[in-house]
Amino acid sequence: MPDPIQKPRVIPPAPGGGGGEGPKEPKVEKPNTEDLLKRMRKVDPEQAKRYRQRTGQ
Amino acid sequence: MQIQFGLETEIGISRENSAELDVVAESIALVRSATAPGVRQRWDYRHEDPHQDARGFRVAELRQDTDEANYFAQDASRPLSFSEIKSDLVLRNGARFYNDHAHPEYCTPECGTLRELAEQDASGDALLIECARAIGAASGNPVLLYKNNTDFRGHSYGCHENYLLPRSLSWDRLADGMQSFLVTRQIFCGAGKYGWEAEDRFVQAGFQLAQRSDFFSELQSVDTMQRRPLVNTRDEPHADPALYRRFHVIIGDANLSPFATYLKVGTSALVLQALVNGAPRERIPRLKDPLAALPAISRDPEWKWHVRLAGGRTATAIEVQRAYLELVKEFAPPTDPEWAALVDAWQEVLLDLERDPRSTADRLDWTAKHRLIEQFREGEGIAPDDPWLRSLDLSYHLMDPAQGLFYGLLDSGAFRLPFPREVIYGRPLAAPLSTRAALRGGCIEKFGGQVESAQWDGVVLRDGPRRIEVDLRDVFSAERVAAGRAAIAAAARPADLLSLAFAKSI
Repeated sequence: MPDPIQKPRVIPPAPGGGGGEGPKEPKVEKPNTEDLLKRMRKVDPEQAKRYRQRTGQ
Repeated sequence: MQIQFGLETEIGISRENSAELDVVAESIALVRSATAPGVRQRWDYRHEDPHQDARGFRVAELRQDTDEANYFAQDASRPLSFSEIKSDLVLRNGARFYNDHAHPEYCTPECGTLRELAEQDASGDALLIECARAIGAASGNPVLLYKNNTDFRGHSYGCHENYLLPRSLSWDRLADGMQSFLVTRQIFCGAGKYGWEAEDRFVQAGFQLAQRSDFFSELQSVDTMQRRPLVNTRDEPHADPALYRRFHVIIGDANLSPFATYLKVGTSALVLQALVNGAPRERIPRLKDPLAALPAISRDPEWKWHVRLAGGRTATAIEVQRAYLELVKEFAPPTDPEWAALVDAWQEVLLDLERDPRSTADRLDWTAKHRLIEQFREGEGIAPDDPWLRSLDLSYHLMDPAQGLFYGLLDSGAFRLPFPREVIYGRPLAAPLSTRAALRGGCIEKFGGQVESAQWDGVVLRDGPRRIEVDLRDVFSAERVAAGRAAIAAAARPADLLSLAFAKSI
């Protein structure tokens, strides 16, 4: 039986992440996460301890 | 691409200022608060049978039947009927929104393109947030909704995928062909998790790729709540069972990143199409121990993702995915720009995961979450096992765009999107035009007051003394969908729909 796993091949990424209606690069080179880090400081460290759900599917 | 697909997502629910919470009551109240156009409590449950097994038999009971019976007994004390507890709302986009025991659940309508799926998934999120804001404003206690899959105590809830397939693809070929793919695709569609769990308990601190990978202990079964299987065998096509089957995938995470959802559903649909088109059995990668490989890949701290193949050789999850990619290129080559772009994106993400997984933080939930929380953890000097990390993890999944960390990243420009942002988010609730959902949604939008019952596979309308059934069990071709849409547009009353070949008086 042939081995279905191919050796890794280096495949160059498509320009712009794909053609047609495909994905586009983000609009900024380096996202500014300073405001987000401030938001994270306000996250209650106990939040997950209080979070309780029922098992679902 | 002929395969149609959809998502069904159970949502976690909490309140900002409530230590003890009746999550069932919260879920019911949330679903019942919806004001979006649709028909309420007219879901037809007679067409549902989760006990039918695709391997050719019907199980007497599911493992969760006892639990569900207990839940129903508890719910019997509520001053609500069964129908009121479920509170099904069938929306004008053809979607279903209801209380699934203890979770609000939004099921997208059937979609025929990845763009439709992105739109419909986001429409559901917007609906949920609208409900949460209304209840929060009225009560003064904000409702917190989480698009995730765990409470870190071993209580998991799902984001299921559904793929409509021709019955000609045998169950054995389908299950055999998809197993290794489903185990390894978590490297790009995991949502990330700060914690290891088992069924019904927290195990230890630690990051892993996927929310759900701690919760699977069978290769195949019809169960969905206990001893979950890698491949779910539920045989409930919601279509003509002589012609179609529905592949019900329960192993996936709920993704916030539209790119991750795009990859998850798109690659799965392509692999299924390759199997339908005759991808040979001997070309399918096989894992020696798929159940062990699932958490091993997810928890691998080196992100190398080595797995043992059935033949004894070691490979990586990336190599397994590449084997499937090659099968798709050969047996289901894309025929239009949308699917060609998906293949490019799949190829590119595998390459990036191989070079440096961190480079995918502009697309994937698990790398985006990890990068953000690790940046914060290191900056604040937080220990790797600090429970705060689980709270930050939860915050990534908060659905309120003003609070959720995912949405903060999105606003900062950190995420690539598979389609323009204005296409995905903020769109009015409308059915996909390429599938039978347009007919279900069209009937509801035009004749909502006369809809007696609705289901995935049909709508029953009243017109005076007459009852008209629009039978959707075999409405999947573009011609039939177009005929149905035209008939609904032209109809002045439900009886006018009898001109359709698939409508009849009952």
